[in-house]
Amino acid sequence: MSLIGILVIATFTVPEQIRPNPQAMLWMLPLTAAIAIVYKATKLPTITAGVFFKEAAILFGSIIAFIIITALALYALVWLISV
Amino acid sequence: MARLSKKNHTQFLLFVGLMSWLLPGAGYFVLEERKRAMIIFVTISLILCIGLYVGSIGVIDLVGPAPLYVKAAQVMNSPVVLFISHRSAGGGYPVYGWPNEIGQIYTMISGLLNLLCIVNAVSLAQLGRIVPAGE
Repeated sequence: MSLIGILVIATFTVPEQIRPNPQAMLWMLPLTAAIAIVYKATKLPTITAGVFFKEAAILFGSIIAFIIITALALYALVWLISV
Repeated sequence: MARLSKKNHTQFLLFVGLMSWLLPGAGYFVLEERKRAMIIFVTISLILCIGLYVGSIGVIDLVGPAPLYVKAAQVMNSPVVLFISHRSAGGGYPVYGWPNEIGQIYTMISGLLNLLCIVNAVSLAQLGRIVPAGE
């Protein structure tokens, strides 16, 4: 196996350093995109590039919007309880 | 494949489901849904690889102390997970904290997405058409 191959495999044997800060929430974006893409890939009757990307983008945006709204509602609830 | 399905439909459905599990998207490939198969294969493989990159192969330990639902979801990815678990068994790749959680979440979600694709591919093989959302 080549040196590059060994180095690539080695990156999968040591965990990344992720701090528990607000930026870590950005890890949900690739996951949300994957969920939107796979769901639309299983549900669209015919796959054409334009329709597929549009539908996946709408679902992705909807999920993110719902998460943000839920987060704001929970934040408001905590604020009301703690005031 | 269409002729085979008429002859031995149950075996064909099992074959589609098994192919979907062996390689994400392969069930759709068997059903000649090439675009669907490629999209699913790339997306699920990418998410699994991101999970393994973030948390290392230590996030997949089927004989370790992880809850059963984590192991069940991860196994749905493909038999590759069994191989990785065999390699990572014994605590040789320790991972804790957020990398562990994010790695587990990514590998679990990729497995659950593959389960969705397995069910959907078998459904497509059975019905011969995609069932739109809400039907």
